[in-house]
Amino acid sequence: MSPERIDLPQGTLDLLILRTLSLEPQHGWAISERVQQVSSDVLRIQQGSLYPALHRLERRGWIKSKWGTSENNRRAKYYELTRMGRKQLEAETDSWRKLTAAVAQVLESI
Amino acid sequence: MWNDLNSPLRALGFRLRALLRRSAEETELNEELRFHFEQQVEKYRLAGLTEEEARRRARLLFGGHEQVKEDCREARGTSFVENARQDVRYALRQLRANPTFAVVIVLTLALSIGANSAIFSVIEGVLLKPLPYRQPDKLVRIFFTNEVFPKFPLNPFDFRDFRARSKSFDGMAAFTRGDVQLSGSGVPVRLNGMGITSGYFRVLGLAPELGREFDAKAEIPGNSLRVILSDRVWRDRFGASPDIIGRKVTLNAQPFTVVGVMPAGTAHPGNEYQPLAYGEDVDVWWPFAFGGDPARRGSHFIEGIGRLKKDVTLAEANAEMNTLLTQIGREYGGYGSWRLLLISLNDEVVGASRQLLLVLLGAVGMVLLIACANAANLMLTRAAARQREIAVRVALGAQRSRVVRQLLTESLLIACVGGALGLAMALAGAKALVSLLPANFPRAHDIHVSAPVFLFTLLVSVATGVLFGLAPALQASRTDPREGLHKGGRAATGGGHQSRLRNALVVSEVGLACVLLIGAGLMLRSLLNLMHLDRGFEEHVLTAKLSLPRDQYKTDESRAQFFGQLVAGLQALPGVQSTGVGSDLPWTGYDDNSSFSIEGKQPPPHEDFHARYHMAGPDYFRALGTPLLRGRFFTDADKKDAPHVILINHAMAERYWPGEDAVGKRITFEDHPKNDKDWLRVVGVVGDVKDQPNSRGAEPAFWWSAYQVTDPFPDALVVVRADADPQLLVDAMRNQVAKLDPALAVADIRSMDKIVTASVSTPRFAFLLVGLFGALAIVLAAIGTYGVIAYSVTQRTSEFGLRMALGARRFDVLRLVLLQAGKLILAGTATGVLLALILARGLKSLIYEVSPADPLTFTAIGFAVLVIAIVACYIPAQKATKADPMVALRAE
Repeated sequence: MSPERIDLPQGTLDLLILRTLSLEPQHGWAISERVQQVSSDVLRIQQGSLYPALHRLERRGWIKSKWGTSENNRRAKYYELTRMGRKQLEAETDSWRKLTAAVAQVLESI
Repeated sequence: MWNDLNSPLRALGFRLRALLRRSAEETELNEELRFHFEQQVEKYRLAGLTEEEARRRARLLFGGHEQVKEDCREARGTSFVENARQDVRYALRQLRANPTFAVVIVLTLALSIGANSAIFSVIEGVLLKPLPYRQPDKLVRIFFTNEVFPKFPLNPFDFRDFRARSKSFDGMAAFTRGDVQLSGSGVPVRLNGMGITSGYFRVLGLAPELGREFDAKAEIPGNSLRVILSDRVWRDRFGASPDIIGRKVTLNAQPFTVVGVMPAGTAHPGNEYQPLAYGEDVDVWWPFAFGGDPARRGSHFIEGIGRLKKDVTLAEANAEMNTLLTQIGREYGGYGSWRLLLISLNDEVVGASRQLLLVLLGAVGMVLLIACANAANLMLTRAAARQREIAVRVALGAQRSRVVRQLLTESLLIACVGGALGLAMALAGAKALVSLLPANFPRAHDIHVSAPVFLFTLLVSVATGVLFGLAPALQASRTDPREGLHKGGRAATGGGHQSRLRNALVVSEVGLACVLLIGAGLMLRSLLNLMHLDRGFEEHVLTAKLSLPRDQYKTDESRAQFFGQLVAGLQALPGVQSTGVGSDLPWTGYDDNSSFSIEGKQPPPHEDFHARYHMAGPDYFRALGTPLLRGRFFTDADKKDAPHVILINHAMAERYWPGEDAVGKRITFEDHPKNDKDWLRVVGVVGDVKDQPNSRGAEPAFWWSAYQVTDPFPDALVVVRADADPQLLVDAMRNQVAKLDPALAVADIRSMDKIVTASVSTPRFAFLLVGLFGALAIVLAAIGTYGVIAYSVTQRTSEFGLRMALGARRFDVLRLVLLQAGKLILAGTATGVLLALILARGLKSLIYEVSPADPLTFTAIGFAVLVIAIVACYIPAQKATKADPMVALRAE
């Protein structure tokens, strides 16, 4: 039914969450759906790791939360990126690019 | 690269908010997860699943709801406190479920923690709190020293030279004890007095609350009719009059001008005999004047104290002072083997008590360890009973660390409740301790349950909780869930590891109790030795102190006449056997010395012959009960114009006339005796009386005849021996004195047995406390041993039942249990004896004429401990024999 799935490497979950939230505030469900969709079902985030990660990011001050109403009119907790989170996203995106480029270079040249 | 950019402050705020809004957070977390779940269900439903199937799938996908919540809490950083709250709640529930257990442990711990805190409050007040002077660590006492006299007072002129020449000190001062009689208003009273040089208070870092201290002029003879009053005397005798400065008061029948008043709590730094002679009880200070011939330096009676310069060490000052001594010695004829000894004031004041206090702290520490062992054993037993519960928790995914933390919380809670109760006990205990302290104990008034004591109690409580809780908690967390669940609660024998731990607890408890009891035994033997000493005097003798004001009793004849009349009057009282007058009483700290020459003998180069210097009237020794060994006592014929005579003690005869008959030999105080009048003939040798009951031996001493003394003694001690109770004579004695001179104060009326009791008060105090702790220790150890054996018997009931079913007799089972217990107890006693052999060396300075390895004490105590512990095991062993074979068989 679904294409091959890949386990998320350590630390990339935070990056994915921050990136998803950089477009607009979202609740947890939407974040996991979005990541799944955009990655064409390759990446799936289990709620067992999603929510602890959200709470951890909130504690670090990279995202903040407030209660809002979902598209189907239910109360949902929305997360949005803070200024610090935006900076963190830039930094992490940057280092991610460097890392993948470097890994790719190694893989291709040897 | 994943660096955390936010400030710690912000994170803290977040955590705090999270904690404060705890229940709100929980609801929100629930709601958030619920929303996610519903969305998932919705999604499945839209995909065409039935409602029921959608929910089932969603639940499967969701996994452990509680686990996610726990992880979220962890991520928020609230879980540590949250867990602790949970643990405490849980622990309280556990304790409530088993109140007997809780009460037993809490009370045991409270008692031992309380004892520790009480002893620590004494240590804090006496050893740790700085002395009540400015920068007390720079203060040093200055003594002469040689092999015979480890601490000897100074000669005033030597002192003056040291003060003038030394560069190591910011200031140097001297003092000497000298009581005075205050008269003029009301009944004459004797006041505790100190003669001091100028700068004495400045050296100590104290300042008068009124007026000023003595200046250098007051040191010149003729200028010394000035006095500084204590706050107490100023308030009690002069109504705290603000214009006291400049007023004249009558001391020793002479007018003294008040120049200052010292504030309340002014403490005296002590002399070489008592670390705190008078302590805060000095009433007046009078100026010490340097009279006489500065070239004559044989008489040593003032005490030196100095404040070291900031960057000068004790050793440097010591070296400099000894160089000075050599210099001065060259100018005045040499000091022979005498050296100068500088001791820090703190060591001098509390040094002698330090050993005792540390021993006591060690003793209560051991009691606490035993209490810990008992508590640990109880915790182990309970952990074993809860093995099933723990197994369930581990099976459900509880981490080992969580289980340990939870059990540890329980023991910490118990320890802290015990500590709080213990602190309450310490408050009462410290008061009781202070009231038990020997009268001459330094700084007793500084002992309070203060902030450091609170802190100490807290630390000890926490350490105790960890100590007795950690091993059982680790042990319990090792539970294998399969095994624990499988076996259930029944046959959980705890495994070899657990029983090894229990056995270790028994061995150490018995061992520690043994050490404490051996310590107490040694102290008891020492105390008995001191109490049954050959003292050299009788106990049932009434004594009183008089001092004849010099101005009223100017001549030797007037003094001799007064004493003669007093003795005759007292002798005539009904029931009086004998009565006499002397310069001092045994065991009261008198230690004036004099140098002299012996006819026909030469001292070693640059040294003098020295001995204690006393005065005695004709019947003084007879009244005191000191035996005459050779020759005769003084008689009424030994008057001023008769040939001068002395009595010496046995120690002096042995030191200076070994192997000879000392009677008939002559000594002199003159450097160049001209005629027979300058010589004093030994007419008798009296028995030895030591300075203190625990002194190594008696010091050489001699006595002048009271009627021939040329230099009057400050005090006269009257001793009266009667057939009847000496206390009945008190009033008669007062009347007799008043009849002769109504202005004379009679002080310190007491019988010799009071002095005897006071002199052994320190060893008695030490024995009482160590004995008390030893008794507590053996009771706790017996309870602990009983507990362990009883537990093992319960665990093995079915085994015993089986054995008996197979034909073992009751006696065999009894023997089996007792043998197992006996091995542990024997190991404990052996450990205790060995440990005591090592530790008892630390008691050496506290015990008298008992070897620290005294075989009698060691054997007797070791045996007693064995018997007590075996008896404690006998009850559970007896129970083992009642195991019912049928019950055992059915259970298997």
